[in-house]
This record gives sequence, structure tokens and C-alpha cells, in this order.
Amino acid sequence: MAAPRFPDYEPTVPVFLAQVTKRFGEGSDALTAVDSVSFTVAAGEFVSVVGPSGCGKSTLLHVIGGLTDATLGSVHVENETIDGPHPAVGIVFQEESTFPWRSVIDNVAFPLELRGVGRAERHAAASHYIDMVGLHGFEKRHPSELSGGMRQRVSIARTLAAKPRILLMDEPFAALDEQTRLLLGDKVLQIQQQLKQTTLLITHSITEAVQLSDRILIMSYRPGHLKRIVKVDLPRPRTSDIVSSREFGAYIADIWSDLREEASRGLSESERGSE
Amino acid sequence: MGARSPYLAPAISLGTIVGALAVMQGLIAAEIVSPYIVPLPTDILASFERVVVEEGIPGRFAVTVGETLAAGLLIMLVGIPIGLLLYRRARLRTAFEPWLAAIAAAPLVLAYPLFLVLFGRSSLTIIVIGFASGVAPVALKTIEGFASTRRVLIDVSRSFRLTPAQEFWQILLPAALPQIFVGLRLGLIFCLINVVGVEVLINLGGLGQLINDLAERYDLPGTYAAISFVVLVSILFFAILGRGEKWLQRRG
Amino acid sequence: MAATARMTGASGQVDLSVSTIRGVGALVLLGIWQGLALSGFFFRDVVPPLQKIAFGLAALFGNGAFYANLAVTGGELALALLIGGLAGLLVGLLLGGSQLMSDAYESWLSYLGPTPKIILFPVMIMLFGVGSGSKVAMGAVSCFFPIAISVASGVRGVDPTLRRVGRSLQANAWQMFLKIELPAMAAPLVNGFRLGFGVAMIGVLLAETKLSNQGIGFMIINAYTRFDMPQMYALLIVTIAFAAFVNAFAVRLARRFGARTV
Repeated sequence: MAAPRFPDYEPTVPVFLAQVTKRFGEGSDALTAVDSVSFTVAAGEFVSVVGPSGCGKSTLLHVIGGLTDATLGSVHVENETIDGPHPAVGIVFQEESTFPWRSVIDNVAFPLELRGVGRAERHAAASHYIDMVGLHGFEKRHPSELSGGMRQRVSIARTLAAKPRILLMDEPFAALDEQTRLLLGDKVLQIQQQLKQTTLLITHSITEAVQLSDRILIMSYRPGHLKRIVKVDLPRPRTSDIVSSREFGAYIADIWSDLREEASRGLSESERGSE
Repeated sequence: MGARSPYLAPAISLGTIVGALAVMQGLIAAEIVSPYIVPLPTDILASFERVVVEEGIPGRFAVTVGETLAAGLLIMLVGIPIGLLLYRRARLRTAFEPWLAAIAAAPLVLAYPLFLVLFGRSSLTIIVIGFASGVAPVALKTIEGFASTRRVLIDVSRSFRLTPAQEFWQILLPAALPQIFVGLRLGLIFCLINVVGVEVLINLGGLGQLINDLAERYDLPGTYAAISFVVLVSILFFAILGRGEKWLQRRG
Repeated sequence: MAATARMTGASGQVDLSVSTIRGVGALVLLGIWQGLALSGFFFRDVVPPLQKIAFGLAALFGNGAFYANLAVTGGELALALLIGGLAGLLVGLLLGGSQLMSDAYESWLSYLGPTPKIILFPVMIMLFGVGSGSKVAMGAVSCFFPIAISVASGVRGVDPTLRRVGRSLQANAWQMFLKIELPAMAAPLVNGFRLGFGVAMIGVLLAETKLSNQGIGFMIINAYTRFDMPQMYALLIVTIAFAAFVNAFAVRLARRFGARTV
């Protein structure tokens, strides 16, 4: 399990991270969340980042999304070094992020509204994405009338409506139950295959990572560095049925052996008392 | 525990009122309780019509409600901007939010003689006292509303690269609105209480003055009728406000 | 989410700025006051200069009548809180403990609570006379509602899990109440009494200003009719400062018992 080599810079790569490090605080109190992470994501590729809790995966996504600056290193999206959120990047957050004061269709049409698209046109476009996430018929409802899973689908539809070429998802299904997760995972995969977006998914679920991804990046415990990259050679198109296959189980076991080590490091550190 | 009839609670509620009135009627008719202290409930009911017609209830109602709404408008126009300012300027907020909390809790209405002296014996005094009592809760809840905007919504705003103006109008303000309305409702309640209170105290204005008037004229049934009327108006007022707030909570 | 950056720099510096801002704010307000007072814009003592108010305060504390009236008002307030508080507590426990009672009567509390009690004053006079009785009645009626409402909601707010813990440990009814329910309700209870204190004070004092010949409220309106503005200001300052102090103390107490928002 050799450490990944520093990738060669290819101008056509949608996402490229070069030695990204993120530190919080200064001096002896500094917390290094992400330590010298480098990788690329190819066009149309679905990459997952897995790791134990507290390993900096969310921080990594926030850096790629331009919501926070890297302390060291650089992030390049579509050839440009980023300085704030890149217009080609769409982000789906872990927390509940629908606008409760807007109806479903007005939520999803929001990015189009910002671009000055007219009402009829943007509602038509939004309906398309609402259908895509399987919420047809719920256009006029308000988020408060929907379940958690449905609200997340609205958030996804809203992000998609901005037509991002690169999609970042931060544990979007973390708050949902297992069955809903699997089904929404299917949905996301369908959508990604249809729209051919480059997707980076943060998750703590190995099942989800193997189900959805082309490659899986395994992060170590804090300070989070890239431990290993696993290529998932399962056939496409995939559905949630694949979770019962033998190959699937083999991937899970393989990745878990890496993660267990990291996760138990995290557990024992918190037992020693967090300061 | 089996399902309870949905009529039981309202029946108890209504029954208690009717029962209490009946007991009152009985005690007073039997002269166990003097009718010069508490008039017969039937007399009170009878005087309702007289009070409404002869004492110009509609007009007085308009005066009281008008004063309350005027104070309400002022607390909105002054309280919300103050709240927004303190939200934006963290240090000003740390410095002065406790002062606002103290003002909100202070019995400012006690200073009514002062306001009388400053603004004269007029509706203006009443409106100013109503305003002073209600402005602090509005400002405080406005701050709270903006400050409690969920972090993820700010992240969404940044991910869509909204300008500061867009962020304010599209995200911050709608997210804060439910709390701001809680503040307005609270402020309006304070306004109403203090407006009616001062009307009684300085014997000027609408419904409050009517009660005062009738009491000084020793029109007992009328006084009780007027009090009941003010209570009914308050109940209506709060019911409407409560309904409005619930509607907003559903949307927020 | 990952940890956020910690603020660098000595926190002592931040505190100083806040105090400075407050000091500046206070100075500005006092300056405006003094300016208005000396401008002659208002009739005579309507806005007295700060020195006169200071003298008024000093004179007040040296005035024997002040303490006598303070005792009267204090006594009325205490009695009002006792009566209204006890009644509120009992009713609150009843409504909080029984869903049926709550459905039947709690809406009465939430609608009658915000209604201005001063309108009941003429009735109180008829029932209790023009002396302290009517003042105590006003105070008691005023504080009954916020206390009853807070207690009812506090009783309901006790986590049923805590009660189950008590039952599984074989706690008897008295132990349940004293060791589990009461501590669990402490924050809303304190809050209710805080609000009750505020409105009881208003009820008693306003009743005294309206019709009385003793008490702080009487002193206030008396000063007004004699146009002794410095004394009236002094009385108002003392009263409002006292109310603010009690309120702040109660807020701190409620927070200690775990109230998140007050």
C-alpha cells in the first residue's frame, strides 16, 4: 500500500489539489485538519472520500468549494487557482439547507432566479430537476411539509439547477436512514450518469462509497492525509442491488481494514480526553 | 387510556363560565354578596347594549386600537433598524444588548407622570409610552433572528456567490423574519397593555378612559360591562396575532 | 464541521473596548440630557439638570417618609407575590399535570394573561377598599398569570425519561416531586417568578398612583402634583433601578438552572 505519488498536472483535469493543508489556529494550539493532500478528479468521474469522524473530510470539501482558504497548497478547478467558490462548482451540504420560506419549486429555481431567468422559464427548468430527483407533484409544497430525505432531494435539485460541471457533496445522506440512503444513492448515480458531472462525495459510509464511486480516497485520522486510493472496478450502470454481490463485500472488507486502524486511533484519542 | 371526547374540554371550559355566572347570580340575588359591589350578571349583560350605544364604544375602540397601532408602527420603524444595527456591529451589540434587555424588563409605565409632563395630556403621551414599552423586545428579537441564521444557509449563499445585498434580502432577512415577528407580537402586546393602562391612569383616550369614567359615575353594571368588553377585545387581538404568527412559523 | 479558528489576542483587550463603548454611550446620553435641561426648551424643572436629580436622590435617601412608604409598598408587594404566587403555583401544577384541565383552561391563562389588569382596579377598590387591600389584590392578580403559565409549561416540559428513571428507582411521590420534577422545572419556575415580580410591581405601584395615600406610587404622584420634579425623578430612578436589578438577578439564576433563552 504505497502512498500515492504526486500526480502530474494535466490542464484538462476538472479538479486538482496540490499539497493542500488546512490549519486552524496558530502556534502550539494549532489544529491541522488536512495535511498535504494531493489528488485529481477526472472529467465525469465519481470520487468518494472516506475516513473516520474528525479526519477533516468536510474541511477538505469546504476548501475545494472555496468556502475557506487552504493554509498551504492550492486547489485548481478547471485550470484556475480558486479564490472563493468557483462558478462551475455546486455544493450539496450535510445539514438541512432548503429555504423554509420558499416553496419547493422556488427553492429549486433559485439559481436561475439569480441569473435573471424569467419566471415561466425558470419554473419549467426547475420542474425538470424536481422530476429528476423524484419529487414530481411536490412543487408547490413547502419544505416544512416534507420529510428529511425529501428536503435533501430538494437541496440536490437546487444545486443541479445551477448546472454545475463539478458537484461536491458533503455527507448529504448522513441524517437519513439506511434504506433511504441506498435509494437516494441510486438516484444520485442515475443523475450523475445522465448529466455526466464530475462528482466528489464525502461520506463516512463505506457501503455508499463503494456503491457510487469510480475511485475512493481513504483519509487517515487527524491530521488527515491521503492514506490510499482504491479503484472500484464494479460494472456500470450500478444499482443498489450490487451491495449484495461478493465483489462488493471484498471492497468493503479491504477498505474497512484501513479505516478500522484510523477509526480506533480516533476513539482512543477521545478516550484519553479531548482538550 | 381511551380516546377522550373532543367536546369534553370545551364543555368543561364553557361549563365553568356558565356555572360561575350562575353561582354569582344566586349569591347576589340572595344578597349574600352586595349588589353594590358586584352587580347581577344579568344586569351586566343588560347594560352591554346601553354601554355600546350610549358610550360610543365603536369610537372609543377606534381610539384605543389607533393608539396601539400607532405605537406598533413606531416600534417597528425604530426597533427593527436598531436590531439590525446591533447585529451588524458586534461590539455595539455586546455593549448595548444588555441595556436593551434591561429596558425591556423595566416598568417604564411607572414613569407616566413624567411623560405627562413632557408631552402633555394628549394621545401623544399614550402613544409614546406604548412605544417606549414595546420597542426593546422588537429590537432584541430582531438581533436574535439575524444572529440565529443557520450557518449552512450562509454557506449556501457563498456557494452561489451572492452579493452582500443579495445575501441580505434573499437569505438573512427571510430567515430572520419569524423571530422578528415574534418580537413584533410581543412588542404589540406590551403596547396594548400600556396604552389601555395609561388611558385608565390619566383618564384620557378610548376604552381605558371609559372604564374610569363609568367607575367614577358609580355605574357598576356599566363598569363591569366595559371591563368585559376590553377583555374581549384583548382576547380577539391576541388571537389574531397568534394566528398570524402560527401562519408565519409554518412558512418559516 | 471542523473546529473554527480561535480568537488570538488577549481577551482583556476586547473587554476594555466594550466598557469604553458603554461609557461613551452613557456619556452621550447624559450629555444630551444635560443639554436639553439647560436649553430652557422645556418648562422649568420638566427636564431637570443632572445636579438637581442627584440632589433629589440624596434628599430622598435622607427622607424618613421615603422609608416609611417603601415599607408599605414592600409589604404590599410581598403579600401580592405570596398570594398570587401560591395560587399560580397550584393552578400551574394542576394544569400541567392534567391534559384535560390544560385543554379546558390553559387558553384562559394565555388570553387573560396579557390583558391589562389595571382595568380591574375599580372592581378591586369595590371589593377590597381604598387601602392596601386593593393594591395587594392588583399585584396578586397581575402575577398570578405569568406564574401559572410558566409552572404549567414547566411541569409539562419535564422530560418523561427523567420520570421513568425515578419510577425505576422506586421513588415515592414526594421524592419524585422534590428531587426530580422541581429541579427539572427550576428554570421556567424562576422565569415565571421573574415575570410575575415585574408585573406585580407594576400592578401595586400603578394602583398606588391611582388611588392611595401611602406607598412609593403615592409618593411619585404626590411629587408630580407638587411639581417636585427632582423628587419624582429620584423615585422613578430608584424604582426602575430596583426592578432592573431584581430582573438581572433572576435572569442569572434562571441561566444557572439551565434556561437557554430567557
